[in-house]
Amino acid sequence: MKRLCGLFFVCALAAMLRAEPPSSFAIRDARVVTVSGSELAKATVLVKDGMIVDVGPNLAIPADAWVIDGSGLTVYPGFINALSTWGIPEVAPAAGAASRATAAPAATPQPAATPQPRVRGPEDRPQNNSYERAADLVKPTDHRLEGIRAIGFTTSATFPNRGILAGQGALIDLAGDQGADMVVAQPIGEQINLRTGGFRSGFPGSLMGVISYVRQLYLDLDQYQQAKSIYAAHVSGTPRPEYDHYLEGLAEAPRILLPADQAQQIDRMTSFAQELKRPAVLYGMHEAFLRIDALKQANLPLLVNLHWPEKAREADPTDVPSLRELEMRANAPAVPALLTKAGVHFAFYSEGADSAADIRKQLKRAIDGGLPRADAIRALTLSAAEVYGLSDRVGSIDKGKIANLVVTKGEPFEEKTTVEYVFVDGKLFKPSKVPPASPAGERGRN
Amino acid sequence: MRSQALLLLVAVSAIAADHESLLIQNVTIHPVTSAEIKGGSVLIVDGKIAAIGTKLSARGAKVFDGKGLDLYPGLINAGSNVGLSEISSIRDTVDIDEIGVFNPQLKAEVAFNPSSEHVQIVRAAGITTVLSLPSSRGEEFSPASAVDAPILPGQGALMHLNGWTWEEMALKRGAALDMLFPIIPSVPRREQTIGGPPQRTYSELEREYKVKLEQIANFFEDARRYAHAKAAGEPDFQPDPKLEAMIPVIEGRRPILVRAGKERAIRDAIEFAEKEKVRIIIADPHDIGSTAELLAKHGIPVVLGETLTLPLKEDDAYDSQYALPGQLFKAGVKFCFGTFDVEFARNLPFQAAAASAFGLPPQDALKAVTINAAEIFGVADQIGSIEKGKLADLILTDGDPLEATTSIKAEFIVGKPVNLESRHTRLYEKWNARP
Repeated sequence: MKRLCGLFFVCALAAMLRAEPPSSFAIRDARVVTVSGSELAKATVLVKDGMIVDVGPNLAIPADAWVIDGSGLTVYPGFINALSTWGIPEVAPAAGAASRATAAPAATPQPAATPQPRVRGPEDRPQNNSYERAADLVKPTDHRLEGIRAIGFTTSATFPNRGILAGQGALIDLAGDQGADMVVAQPIGEQINLRTGGFRSGFPGSLMGVISYVRQLYLDLDQYQQAKSIYAAHVSGTPRPEYDHYLEGLAEAPRILLPADQAQQIDRMTSFAQELKRPAVLYGMHEAFLRIDALKQANLPLLVNLHWPEKAREADPTDVPSLRELEMRANAPAVPALLTKAGVHFAFYSEGADSAADIRKQLKRAIDGGLPRADAIRALTLSAAEVYGLSDRVGSIDKGKIANLVVTKGEPFEEKTTVEYVFVDGKLFKPSKVPPASPAGERGRN
Repeated sequence: MRSQALLLLVAVSAIAADHESLLIQNVTIHPVTSAEIKGGSVLIVDGKIAAIGTKLSARGAKVFDGKGLDLYPGLINAGSNVGLSEISSIRDTVDIDEIGVFNPQLKAEVAFNPSSEHVQIVRAAGITTVLSLPSSRGEEFSPASAVDAPILPGQGALMHLNGWTWEEMALKRGAALDMLFPIIPSVPRREQTIGGPPQRTYSELEREYKVKLEQIANFFEDARRYAHAKAAGEPDFQPDPKLEAMIPVIEGRRPILVRAGKERAIRDAIEFAEKEKVRIIIADPHDIGSTAELLAKHGIPVVLGETLTLPLKEDDAYDSQYALPGQLFKAGVKFCFGTFDVEFARNLPFQAAAASAFGLPPQDALKAVTINAAEIFGVADQIGSIEKGKLADLILTDGDPLEATTSIKAEFIVGKPVNLESRHTRLYEKWNARP
């Protein structure tokens, strides 16, 4: 038996070795932007088995390493999208949907569309997917991933984003053989959406209803946890507390993500976060240019939506946008610069902007809005990792961290810049060899 | 004061009971169409104004002493659901909004409930005539964008607010064909909604809108062919109540009251009227944009809806709705007022009053709720002013009827004095008497 096992092990190892692509790399003589520390003008980054083994000038290169000549290239930590649905194929817009108007429903997350039984109140837990884990939903087959990696994104804080209690996020790497390979950490938080189904759509039909519903859930959660601890202490003779699937979901999440796009929402969510007495992250921030001081004072982690407000592609030509809307369109891209100037840390996320070209354009607008390039890079790397308390494993080029790296020729997100190499979990991708993004429809059909 | 009014009423009722002629004297007459007459008298014979003057003799007529009060023509609410809807949130009491896209054969007067509490309430505000419409405001409450949303919900009727039966109360049957002009609903911002049906794009909605406009054009074409066939006496001619009801419309005898809230709807409605060669009245507009001149140029009248309301858009001036009547006035558009509901039909005078603080001359505000409405609906020979030969729809007041502090002391509809008691006064009495 023992011998058989051993034999099996050796065979398996051999098979693995044969199948595995190289796992040891050395990027030599490159400019290295570590983000956590100072920039190294000419250094080597050593990668082995998915980890950064070392970084610094004049390192000895291991004999088994594939050597990449980094002269003229810059190495950055892999970029992190701090809030997205990347990796969840079901949420991805259906291939080619945008071009075919008839296929419009495809963009809606599915459970939202299925009719729900009549909802009486918060006790029926409507629009509640708190238990849904992004970690269970991610798959490397999401057709968006290839294009996103090609501009240097290696990691995403992915959330299912369905309903009001929109599910639990996971930090994922944007490549892997199967979904489980992609997960870096889970759970990282519960996303909350404050949207209503409108008049006569059942509870909660108004914004006030949605907020009170969320408040009620967290009150219920406190009570639930108390009941469980009392039960645990006195099992014998105590009626057991009823299992609540929805509250279990809430209990798991280490933080909540609250939407705060407009100034009023920022005020509202800042105080709501205090009221809920839970670690909170605010996301949105398009009108934050009106609330810089308040945000500095609130000292909450912030996620800035890169999808800057603009005229809807398909707008009613007779609809005149309000002055406030126009101001927001004009000033939102300057929010990152204003936050940086005020010393407020933030991370970027790209709601809905999934194409490489879109993201590049949006980041460019933030930089043109006065955001120093180094701060833009920080917001896309270490700051994002810090928001989720995961800066010990991703977000910078440091010994012992996960080998998520981007190697570019030129400054990232510039038109002429090329991304030469991308490492995800120490696995090498060569985006420039990939043909430029073909229409999503064609990829989707594979 | 109240007991005095009551005494007056008792006196009036006694007079009217057995005489056909009534002399109202010692009043300041405000005929609306001409200068006021101080110390005047009005002689009513068989419900009509027989004479107006300062020194009228009253042989055989009962005399009613106006005690120096003011006499105005009864006010007209040119858009309401009075008599057709009692409590809008109780479906069983609501007889509007019939199912179906084209129902031009439906007649509001037939469904009119003479015993509606609203009849008493509305007339107590000095309103003697209402236009009752077979549909609610459409755009706000039922999405006029839905595929099967009504477009022609029926005919509205001008109703006098006194009588035992609808036949007795109907002043003009089929006064206008109600029309809910299709709209392209605005697409809400993505973040605002969750769940529900998937959001549609503008081009999709626009396509549906155009389909509906074509549907309307087809219906009018059908009506025209039907009229030709009928006139020509085709042997296989089949009567059709829907198309039959369209004949006065396509012949221009019955105007179409087009509910058009926004600029696009107004422009498209005008274009529609030009093309179909029908007479239209724009109803319940709120965002007229730059269409005032266009309306004036085409001589299209307007029935304004609730103007005591908030601005439509975030950046509109606070008074954008209050100033709407003045804006139409300056452009030379003929307009009157409606409320397009039942519960607040009594607030009609205040709409006009507020407008006179925002650019509408007071005398024109008064015209808007009297003679203009009568002219727009083709009944200026019968109501709308105090003139010889017109029906005696009169209100006796202690001041300008558009002032909120003015009270109506007596009211006559077709020469008959009406009881000014209502559910409101009954509730007032009841709770006033509470120990």
